[in-house]
Amino acid sequence: MVEDGLKLTTYFGERDRAGGELLADALIDVYERKGVKASALFRGIEGFGERHRLQTDRLLTLSEALPIIAVAVDRAERIEALLAEVREINAGGVTTLERARLLSGALGPAELGGDSGASKLTIYLGRQERAGGRPAYLAVVDLLHSHGVAGATVLLGVDGTAHGVRERSRFFAANAQVPLMIMSVGDDERIAAVLPELSSMLSQPLLTLERLRICKRDGVLLAAPADPPEGELGGEAHRQKLTIYAGEQARHEGQLLYSALIRRLLREGAAGATALRGLWGYHGEHQPHGERFWSLRRHVPIVTVLLDTPSNMRRWFAIVDEMTAETGLVTSEIVPALWKRSL
Amino acid sequence: MSFILLWLGVGVLGGVGAISRFLIDALVSSSGGGRFPSGTLVVNLSGALLLGLLVGLGLHGDAYLLAGTAVLGSYTTFSTWIFESQRLAEDGERLLLAANIVLSLVLGVAAAALGRMIGGG
Repeated sequence: MVEDGLKLTTYFGERDRAGGELLADALIDVYERKGVKASALFRGIEGFGERHRLQTDRLLTLSEALPIIAVAVDRAERIEALLAEVREINAGGVTTLERARLLSGALGPAELGGDSGASKLTIYLGRQERAGGRPAYLAVVDLLHSHGVAGATVLLGVDGTAHGVRERSRFFAANAQVPLMIMSVGDDERIAAVLPELSSMLSQPLLTLERLRICKRDGVLLAAPADPPEGELGGEAHRQKLTIYAGEQARHEGQLLYSALIRRLLREGAAGATALRGLWGYHGEHQPHGERFWSLRRHVPIVTVLLDTPSNMRRWFAIVDEMTAETGLVTSEIVPALWKRSL
Repeated sequence: MSFILLWLGVGVLGGVGAISRFLIDALVSSSGGGRFPSGTLVVNLSGALLLGLLVGLGLHGDAYLLAGTAVLGSYTTFSTWIFESQRLAEDGERLLLAANIVLSLVLGVAAAALGRMIGGG
């Protein structure tokens, strides 16, 4: 089944508060109450926001307010129905609303015609969900890899809803069904070819499809970020979202790529950047990789998200381009930003 | 000084030490760019220097307990030093890892010795 969906993404800090409680809790409470089909809260490992204060999990004292990205996905009218409440909770932060095709149940090969030729396929799962006798996320990533999809990253949420039901990680619990999200990016025909197999592999498939542009792949520049459409859509201003997928060990001039990039952007005055650590994934020619128990170094994928106005993003893209000269997958999307002050 | 008052003092001054560490560490770390754990290093070196100074000045008894064990004991941090070293190892930052361990040890011992010298001990 294919429906018109919306994806609501909120960017804030771990310690931000709304009324008497943590913003993160307040937000997922709303999604739980409204039975949002899929929502998840991801804690970043490094980044900065409007206050331009670096937070990183590499230093104890600078890790007390890590950046958070919260995502909620449902049919368009159901997301529209909770916008007012989310606006009230996240009055000071950044929120974007993206159109997405919502796919569930049995799926045939879809038509993915678009000018950019590339799509983002996001798969929403529970952590313990299984497919073919093993963790579903491993099976899904292998499937995407075997179909030549350009990249996929598995992100583990700390809170959220799956099929309308609250799933939350706790300190003393097996974390049975915390939400898990697989972000994958690829050419339209490859993504379309994966869909039928994907829907038969999962017991309750829930996916979204969005348009995007692949800007760089393994050091090769394919296209600059797209320009926003002329004029404003119903009072919404646009934001350019740039996403960089690379391994945690990817480096630029001897420094960790994601970390060096975030520091450089902070110095140059970008609006914000957040790095998320994946559990498993791949990009380009690499085999799927992830956390191994017996290795000191981590070989997990990192997703770094930048959000700024399209005109500022031209400068940041030049920096990203320079720093991803050898590795990484870079994609761009134009997203409507909501209720941001001083636009 | 009564026994209870003394230990209440250890608790309160311990809190002061912990808050000072947090503020100084945050200030140094965020201005230093955050790649090398310079905040923790500054805190541990200054703590070692001050503790050496207290010993050099011949502080003892309750005053030493309050200033040394309570304030400086919670101001400096071994666990953060070790944790951040482990993170550097995980990131494959060999040079920074070696620098973090060697500098903390060598400069730390030197700072304590300097403190004692200044204090006249």
